[in-house]
Amino acid sequence: MTSPVLSLNEVSLALKGNAGVVEILHGIDLQVAAQETLGLIGPSGSGKSSLLMLMGGLERATSGSVQALGHDLSAMNEDALARFRRHHMGVVFQSFHLIPTMTALENVATPLELAGDRDAFDRAAEELCAVGLEDRLDHYPAQMSGGEQQRVALARAAAPRPDILLADEPTGNLDGANGAAIMDLLFGLRDRHGATLVLVTHAPELAARCDRVVRLADGRISPMNEAAQ
Amino acid sequence: MMAWRIARRELRGGLSGFRIFLICLALGVAAIAAVGLVRDGIEAGLRANGAVILGGDAQMSFTYREANAQERRWMADTAETVSEVIDFRSMLVVARAGQTDRALTQVKAVDDFYPLYGQVLLTPDWPLERVLAGNGVAVARVLADRLGLQIGDTVQLGTKVFTLNAVLDRLPDDAGGGFGLGPPTLVRKAALEGAGLLEPGTLYDSQYRLKLFAGAAVESLEQEAMAQFRDSGMRWRDARNAAPGLSEFVGRMGAFLVLVGLAGLAVGGVGVSAAVRAYLDGKTEVIATLKTLGAESRTIFAAYLMQIGVLSVLGIALGLALGAMVPILLAPLIESRLPLPADLGLRAAPLAEAALYGALTALIFTLLPLSRSGRVRAAALFRDIAEPVRSWPGWRVLITLVVLLGALVWAAAAFSGEVWLTLWAAGGVMGALLLLVCAAWGIRVLARRAAGLRMVRGRTSLRLALGAVAGPGGEATSVVLSLGLGLTVLAAVGQIDTNLRAAISDELPDVAPSYFIVDIQPGQLQGFLDRVENDPGVSRVQTAPMLRGVITRINGQPAREVAGEHWVLSSDRGVTSSDIAPEGTQITQGQWWPAAYDGPPQVSFAAEEAAEMGLKLGDLLTVNILGRDIDAQITSFRVVDFSTAGIGFVMSMNPAALAGAPYTSIATIYAQEEAEAAILRDLATQYPNITAIRVRDAISRVTEVLRGMAAAITYGAMATLITGLFVLIGAAAAGQRARIYEAAVLKTLGAARGQVLAYFTLRAGILGAAAGLIAVFAGGVAGWAVMTFVMDTEYSFEPRSAFVVVVGGVIATLLSGLGFAWRPLAARPAQVLRGRE
Repeated sequence: MTSPVLSLNEVSLALKGNAGVVEILHGIDLQVAAQETLGLIGPSGSGKSSLLMLMGGLERATSGSVQALGHDLSAMNEDALARFRRHHMGVVFQSFHLIPTMTALENVATPLELAGDRDAFDRAAEELCAVGLEDRLDHYPAQMSGGEQQRVALARAAAPRPDILLADEPTGNLDGANGAAIMDLLFGLRDRHGATLVLVTHAPELAARCDRVVRLADGRISPMNEAAQ
Repeated sequence: MMAWRIARRELRGGLSGFRIFLICLALGVAAIAAVGLVRDGIEAGLRANGAVILGGDAQMSFTYREANAQERRWMADTAETVSEVIDFRSMLVVARAGQTDRALTQVKAVDDFYPLYGQVLLTPDWPLERVLAGNGVAVARVLADRLGLQIGDTVQLGTKVFTLNAVLDRLPDDAGGGFGLGPPTLVRKAALEGAGLLEPGTLYDSQYRLKLFAGAAVESLEQEAMAQFRDSGMRWRDARNAAPGLSEFVGRMGAFLVLVGLAGLAVGGVGVSAAVRAYLDGKTEVIATLKTLGAESRTIFAAYLMQIGVLSVLGIALGLALGAMVPILLAPLIESRLPLPADLGLRAAPLAEAALYGALTALIFTLLPLSRSGRVRAAALFRDIAEPVRSWPGWRVLITLVVLLGALVWAAAAFSGEVWLTLWAAGGVMGALLLLVCAAWGIRVLARRAAGLRMVRGRTSLRLALGAVAGPGGEATSVVLSLGLGLTVLAAVGQIDTNLRAAISDELPDVAPSYFIVDIQPGQLQGFLDRVENDPGVSRVQTAPMLRGVITRINGQPAREVAGEHWVLSSDRGVTSSDIAPEGTQITQGQWWPAAYDGPPQVSFAAEEAAEMGLKLGDLLTVNILGRDIDAQITSFRVVDFSTAGIGFVMSMNPAALAGAPYTSIATIYAQEEAEAAILRDLATQYPNITAIRVRDAISRVTEVLRGMAAAITYGAMATLITGLFVLIGAAAAGQRARIYEAAVLKTLGAARGQVLAYFTLRAGILGAAAGLIAVFAGGVAGWAVMTFVMDTEYSFEPRSAFVVVVGGVIATLLSGLGFAWRPLAARPAQVLRGRE
């Protein structure tokens, strides 16, 4: 394997909930190579999404280290993490997470603006055209269907040409046809921009499109993991 | 009943979403209850102390003269005791170490029976007989301080020297007199003899205070006295309404402040409405479930109406408790500022009034969101449950809303007794709210345009802020509505106050005289004119003979029956005479009498007042002057301008008509400010009996009164603003979840906390500045309208108070907005976003 883009060593995560501390992940060791497509699968509650959040610096590991592009995310403060994501990462969520007070164009332009792109709006419009939403530029999220919202979210994640694309069950809230279209777009974007893609999914057919699949169970990488390949 | 059971179960969820609802309602109700209680307390104090404030059970008063033998006989037969007070303005003169100081004072010359009721408070605390014995006087503290007087000093009134034996702390009968230019001096009437002050024609009032026999029928005594003596200029007042001016002022001010309170309640209503809407939006799923289970729209509407009803009762009760505490806690402070004892305690009527306003407001502002609750469809459960119902309410709701609004306005009009003021205020508040809604829409359009500008691109925080202001969610409307009304009132007060003061202090002195001189005796006139006309600092002197008379009849009919309660008839009026029309006289109708005319009396009447009273040329006026009836025919109308503080008489007669009546002259002196002191010194030394009123002092007294009124209105506007601030805080608290979410998404996209904070700050700042600018615009329009149409003077935009209003708007939104920014900034994106998955 070439030098990994993402490298997790002995990573554990425990979160404080109403019922006390809950152990989410235990001693995860995982490397993801440049331009690789990795599928994270496993039952609900196995820690897939939490692992993805750790990779994106959206969650902080209780122990162990998370490295991305050679940077130790565990050592960065919140603002440094934000700046790192701005230039290197795109995230797509199951629930889209568009900002309701912004139009589609503004939602997509925002990360570009944050990254200091002078042509943020032109590029945002191009990205939206690329996902087939050229007629929806000035629509607010509430005025769009779920499939359209997820396409905006995809365009937003891909617009800054990130090195790493993280997608958390991007088709989970969509019907079959819309889900398939979104996956085609996601893989198309990845191919076009040559990004590393980490994908959390329940869908076996999606996992099958990945270069590699990691199965999680009870917060650990399952020993049967590589057997799926 | 099913609806009640549902309501009760829902209420078990607690009041957490209703804090702002309760605060908004409670504050509005508390303000109105407090104003009502204080107003009723003062009115009760006035009623209970009527005899003290008046100085007797009843009072008969005359101008220019004392009571004649017949009148004295009637009073002696009617009353147990009669006390006589002579009341007039004069100059109090202090000469020491070669320097002479003068000040205007209101002299009360009293007899041995004074005061019939109440007590004179003096320092030192000597009996009044001792203080006034011989040539003793007591002067008001403010006057003693101004002239640097010590007990034992000598002062001069007219040509006589008096000894200051005490300082007056309070006169029991000082509250009913109204607006006075000079602080009082108390002296024995007998001691004034030889002071040269009460000469024939001198302007003074004689007041006869009557202590009536127990059980005397005041009303029939009044009728008897009026029937016998009204036509000879007698005026009657009694303890039933001892201080009509003050009581009317308190009533008016109370009505006005209640209306300001209602405006505050309307702003609170915006918060109440928002709280109910947010609560019901969160209940969409519950309502859809209830519908799925078979609940009818009516049941659901009733269930939520009951919940809001219970909360409203709680809010109103809180408000009443808070409002009731104000007069109790602030009683010492309020009473120390009143010239009379008030009876501040709990009273049912003002509390019930406030509760009624609270209940109606709560219903009006919650009906629309409540009506939506019944229209949530069961299918909402299977679709996007977050989508609330946003359709137009049915006609039944709209009619109910109109009826409730009508009831609120009717109640306010009925309670205040000020129908037109209430209708104007209600129209004003509704118009202002409508204007603010339109303005909020305009701001959103502007922000949308601005967000698209090329120059904004790349300035992420600014673009995000503009986008948020323009975007859906109604934040712009809620901020502009909650802050706008209070800021508008504040801006209007600022504009009017500054313009008025400028008009009074800059413009009026240019056209107004320096001194008004009264009581110039006929023999003194020539000497007076010689002194002032030869002074190079004096630009103009006007003099006119003056008497005072009461119009008793018009064409033989009692004047009030013909012309109603016009101000010209309310008391005695100045009457002058002139052989030829004075220079600059503008006759609008008829003709001035020929020179040296000595036929039947003729009168020239002020044109505007004549039109108001319905007088026409040829009408016969009966004017009682010093007890003598003069029947004069109106032969001309002329323009009289009272606005320049110059000499203006409603009536001018031909000199022969007034021949034989003892008169004095009044004069106005237009002089440079530097020349004023020397003129006063010379005139007062040469003619100790005359009284000089410095117009600048009178103007500053008027300015003081205006400032007091502006302060009261500003306090009212502040109450509205505080309610608005709570509404803002409510909106910010309600929006916190959305802000946390936005911050999490923005951080995910790469925004640093500083950028998110800048975005929140700009967003709040833009909305606050917008609310302030709208308020300045609306306040400016109100200021222009008041100055142009009411005050009849020029308006110029005043930037300083406008700036304060805009800055105030920004600070208010920043305080409320940024107070809720820390949690969104601190929250971890993963936790927030996970919660939304």
